[in-house]
Amino acid sequence: MVVHAQPGLGGLSVALSLLSGASAKGHWAAVVGVDDPGVVAMADLGVDLRRVLFVPRPRGAWAEAAADLLDGVDLLIVRPPSRASHAAARKLMDRVRERGTVLIALTEPSAPWPLPVDLSFHLTSSRWIMSSRLDARYVTLRVGGRGEAARRGEHVVMVPDAQGRAAAR
Amino acid sequence: MERLLALWVEPLVEERPDGSTLRDYLRVLDVLGVICPFVEPVRLGLCTLPLRGPSRFFGGDEAVFATVRQSVRDVLGLEVSLGVAEGLFCAELAARQGVVLSAGQTTAFRRAQPLSALGHKELATTGRRLGVYTVGDFADLDAARVAERFSASVRVLHRVARGELAELPGQRDTRLVARLRSARGEDVLRDEQVGFFGQRTAGDDRAQAAAHRVRHRLGPEGVLVARLHGGRVPEDRATLTPWGSPSPNQRDDAPWPGRLAGPSPITSLHQPVAVELRDDHDEPVRMGARGSLSAAPASLVLVRGSRRGVVWFAGPWPLVERWWASGRRRAHVQVLLDSGEAMLLSAEAGRWWLVGIYD
Repeated sequence: MVVHAQPGLGGLSVALSLLSGASAKGHWAAVVGVDDPGVVAMADLGVDLRRVLFVPRPRGAWAEAAADLLDGVDLLIVRPPSRASHAAARKLMDRVRERGTVLIALTEPSAPWPLPVDLSFHLTSSRWIMSSRLDARYVTLRVGGRGEAARRGEHVVMVPDAQGRAAAR
Repeated sequence: MERLLALWVEPLVEERPDGSTLRDYLRVLDVLGVICPFVEPVRLGLCTLPLRGPSRFFGGDEAVFATVRQSVRDVLGLEVSLGVAEGLFCAELAARQGVVLSAGQTTAFRRAQPLSALGHKELATTGRRLGVYTVGDFADLDAARVAERFSASVRVLHRVARGELAELPGQRDTRLVARLRSARGEDVLRDEQVGFFGQRTAGDDRAQAAAHRVRHRLGPEGVLVARLHGGRVPEDRATLTPWGSPSPNQRDDAPWPGRLAGPSPITSLHQPVAVELRDDHDEPVRMGARGSLSAAPASLVLVRGSRRGVVWFAGPWPLVERWWASGRRRAHVQVLLDSGEAMLLSAEAGRWWLVGIYD
């Protein structure tokens, strides 16, 4: 799965919100390449932090670290520090298929994921709702992918909402 | 009671958010450790050591003072204020005033301190009304009278005033040792075998094995786990610690008065980045003494030199923490940039820091 967004649009929130359902059910997750994760925000999103491993700065070894973790966790978010090579992406996706895990790559326009994926979210725009502070954000995303993605097309989600969670509008 | 030599390093009292205060403090402890193995960190800017042993070794109090001063000068280029007294309460006051007391002088010194030295505003105010101006005046009040008139915390201060307790509650930063340890990378790697809730599932085992491999690949700081604890702002409420290091005793996610409301940033900078906030005339926006901004922010300048327009802002929300806990004064501001990015900034130590990004 790929979440593709211009930095600052909400891609990180969308990607991390995808951990909440599985982590609440007791599955393990790992987050690779996200340097300064806002763990309070993650907890608000519903992520159970007791079952999340963080590899914030894998430096050149992000693909190897991700491959190691795919053996041990059920969901893996990876933000490649630079454009992922074809070979690295292929290797990871093969491993995902073998293990039956979920890989979520968080990418940006300067470094897209090099292979077609089953499901992708392209963030196209976002809009904050403000009062005396930032309250919530609407994120518009285009759902695509080659799989049987049932809900293709454009969707609007709220992430974070006023409680810091993700919500469909 | 033993005479304590206390060191007061004023520039290290206010913690800078970039971590340099903690590192400098650690260097002071390290260099003092050479002089005396019993150096005790009290809180940032303040540490103590028993004077008797080093004094014998170096040939007198004055020789110890000279060595300590020179050592701190050597490692940090800073002047330290030294004081000697019995008990931590008086040792701190002596250090802040640069007073060296001989054995037996501490009681008179303590009694002469203004009542405000006990660090309790309400007590100081009430005391003035009652004609109680000094710690000694307060100590002379009958304990039963104090008990009927004041809260339990003041009763404790009364015992400090009488010399029955050697230190103020909260005078030591209880989290400091753990912070120093982790700053030095001394976290002992252990308790990997203990699962959550005391029982392990096959999933836990697989995850632990994978974490092991990654740590082997990237080193002890390679894999981290997150913990939440009390605090008012997101950057204080979370810690990322190396996977496998012992869990510190932590407070739960209990309600915390004055917590910053609304969503937290999904990126919380481990080491805040210095930024500049400018107004319409390109003048720096400053936090006023009364908790307001000098002008509305119009642009944000990142140190790399890139500049973005500020299209909206909220705050400031000032945060004044108890002086004995950290002495930090901060205020937070949210800004929405013309690029669509939203950020959380903090004003501290006279400048602005980027502490969070709402990506």
